Amino acid sequence: MKRFLQIAVAVTCTLFLLSGVALAAGTIKVGHLADLTGPTGDVGKPYAEGVQAYKDYVNAHGGINGKTIDMQMFDYAYNKDKAINQYKKYKEDKVVAIEGWGTGDTEALTGFVSADKVPYISASYSAHLTDPKKAPYNFFCAADYTTALRAGLLYLKENWKEKRAPKIVFIYPNVPYGIAPIKGGKEYAKELGYEILNDENVDLKAIEANSQMLSVKNKKADFGWIGGTTGSTAVILKDARKLGLSTRFFSNIWGIDESTPKLADGAEEGALVMAGSTTYGAKVPGMKLLEQITRNKPQPTPFIRGYVSMMVLVEALKRADKATKGNITGQSVKDALETFRDFDTGGLTPGKITYTSTDHRPFMAVNIIQMVKGKLVVKKTMVLPRKAEWLGL
Amino acid sequence: MHYCGDYRTSYEKDMEILQTPVTKAFVAAFFLFLLAWPFVVKSEFLWITMQILIAVIGAVGLNILTGFTGQISLGQGAFLGVGAYTSAYITAKMGLSFWIGVPAAGVVTALAGMIFGIPSLRLKGLYLAIATLASQFILEWIFLRWEPVTGGSFGIVVPRPSIGGFAFDTDRSYYYIVLVIAAVMVLFAANLMRTRTGRAFMAVRDHYISAEIMGINLFKYRILSFAVSSFYAGVAGALYGHSLRYVSSEQFNIGVSIVYLAMIIIGGLGSILGSIYGAVFMILLPKLLTVVTTQLGTSFPGIAELAIALEQGIFGAIIILFLIFEPDGLAHRWKMIKAYWKLYPFSY
Repeated sequence: MKRFLQIAVAVTCTLFLLSGVALAAGTIKVGHLADLTGPTGDVGKPYAEGVQAYKDYVNAHGGINGKTIDMQMFDYAYNKDKAINQYKKYKEDKVVAIEGWGTGDTEALTGFVSADKVPYISASYSAHLTDPKKAPYNFFCAADYTTALRAGLLYLKENWKEKRAPKIVFIYPNVPYGIAPIKGGKEYAKELGYEILNDENVDLKAIEANSQMLSVKNKKADFGWIGGTTGSTAVILKDARKLGLSTRFFSNIWGIDESTPKLADGAEEGALVMAGSTTYGAKVPGMKLLEQITRNKPQPTPFIRGYVSMMVLVEALKRADKATKGNITGQSVKDALETFRDFDTGGLTPGKITYTSTDHRPFMAVNIIQMVKGKLVVKKTMVLPRKAEWLGL
Repeated sequence: MHYCGDYRTSYEKDMEILQTPVTKAFVAAFFLFLLAWPFVVKSEFLWITMQILIAVIGAVGLNILTGFTGQISLGQGAFLGVGAYTSAYITAKMGLSFWIGVPAAGVVTALAGMIFGIPSLRLKGLYLAIATLASQFILEWIFLRWEPVTGGSFGIVVPRPSIGGFAFDTDRSYYYIVLVIAAVMVLFAANLMRTRTGRAFMAVRDHYISAEIMGINLFKYRILSFAVSSFYAGVAGALYGHSLRYVSSEQFNIGVSIVYLAMIIIGGLGSILGSIYGAVFMILLPKLLTVVTTQLGTSFPGIAELAIALEQGIFGAIIILFLIFEPDGLAHRWKMIKAYWKLYPFSY
């Protein structure tokens, strides 16, 4: 009897071990850093929800070639030390990729992810990150800030009817995020024949922009680029209305979204935003699934972008899993991402996604969205040429 | 402070850093413990320990300036940045070695500190604080705008050090470099305070007119203090940059300066040991709070978001309570605890 028990225990243990191994082989570990409660939480939360929603959908529908994605979200509250600490933990867990969030975490981890070979997909769209020579493991799924600015400049120039050169002013906060696209944007503006006025600085946390708007008024600017976030953009738009400016404003991807009508109180009418996705409910093939997942509850644009970024990662995981026959690594996920050629997001993004080993610009297209009576309306999809000299600038 | 029965018969004995055999043994054991530490902990905690060691260097530097010489500085964060960028430029852009980059970072930052320390000749207290605050903003602006050197809004990706063929690529190997440099710099600071220079610093702090009457050149010692303090900041910044493998302007903002100031106030102004306690406290406390709030969040999902949002508030509250109940800092509290046990049960 005793002997029988011993054998039974041994067999059970072996079975348990085997099943454990099988379980381990059945998951793919991915990290997810999000800001739900920090200073960028208002847009960070829908973005993170988009990421998680697509992951849940994939896990419920077969996973990655039969394996489930194990992706625990961590709220780092836009605190880079927390992001780094969590990254170290993820690294110990041997994650093969990370879904990140903003400039804070992306910048803090750029050095690490390239040294540790962990692909990092985030929503920090700085053009520097598209140059694999500088940031080989960084990816994102929207046009970079500079490309978006160029698209806006081209759109406005195309619709410019007067004979004289249009005057443009660049309004941005004095932080890396604001400064990043200015150099490239100005060069292109000059090329298009704009007259460039002196820059104005409006802080991200500004509560008024009177003096700056007065200066814009005196300079008689026709167009104003706003490189801020929703808060500072609303402040600029409101003060511009108060001073009776006729300047037409266009903002970067984070400047105007569904919350703007509430923040700007009508002053946003006619303003443009260089969006990296379509809007909820748009008539595109990819919207059907998204509506089904969200049960027809309208979601802001950051949600769609988060959703797309996970869509891209899932496709890369599938390709990497197949290519390595299940021994997926960070390197293989990066290689898989770099095999993307015109990957179709079902029209959720302005273009189809292509990454190569020398160029991480997903596409050169931007949706020009206009605020019309409190609604975001897609006016046009601008497509720029993929110029080599624009890479990383 | 000496307790009853604790007396010395010579000046040498009185000036010793480690005064009793027990302390010596304890410090030796602690150093051995730090050497073994990377093999004990997970990589997350190794990283935190490394950040503490780097912060210790910066905090000791600031304490030399603020605690020992009495010159308030709100520019420590920017000085860390000068060091980080100098070393990044030397290693990543000029292709020279880390072993040149770090000392050079110290020297360049010391020069920058001397320049921004010039107002200290005329300004004191709050006025000097504002002048150094200006240095913070000027330097930050330079980091962001001097693109050929600092990489502008992108920053610079920097390598980890190597000797011969061996690269200190992992956190574990890099930790030892940081540990050795931190130990040497703390020891140097502790010794500096026993020299003529150190005593001059303290004289300037305690009563600058008396100090001047005694023949201490105020200008020289104030600028020297800025130089030494900035040298420490520069080395700390360089080590930080290499630990992160990446240097960008947002890492060295005014918040960093304030955290460093908080470190030395909480640890104990004018105490080398206090700087160490302060650095440990200020880096570990947010981490502990995160652990607590995440724990709370998982146990009571309803308050998860609230708990995380409260973290900053609790952090502030703890610091306020600390300053109310222990205004002399952790170093003083530690002394009191030691004294209590030494004299137990016959305290007076």
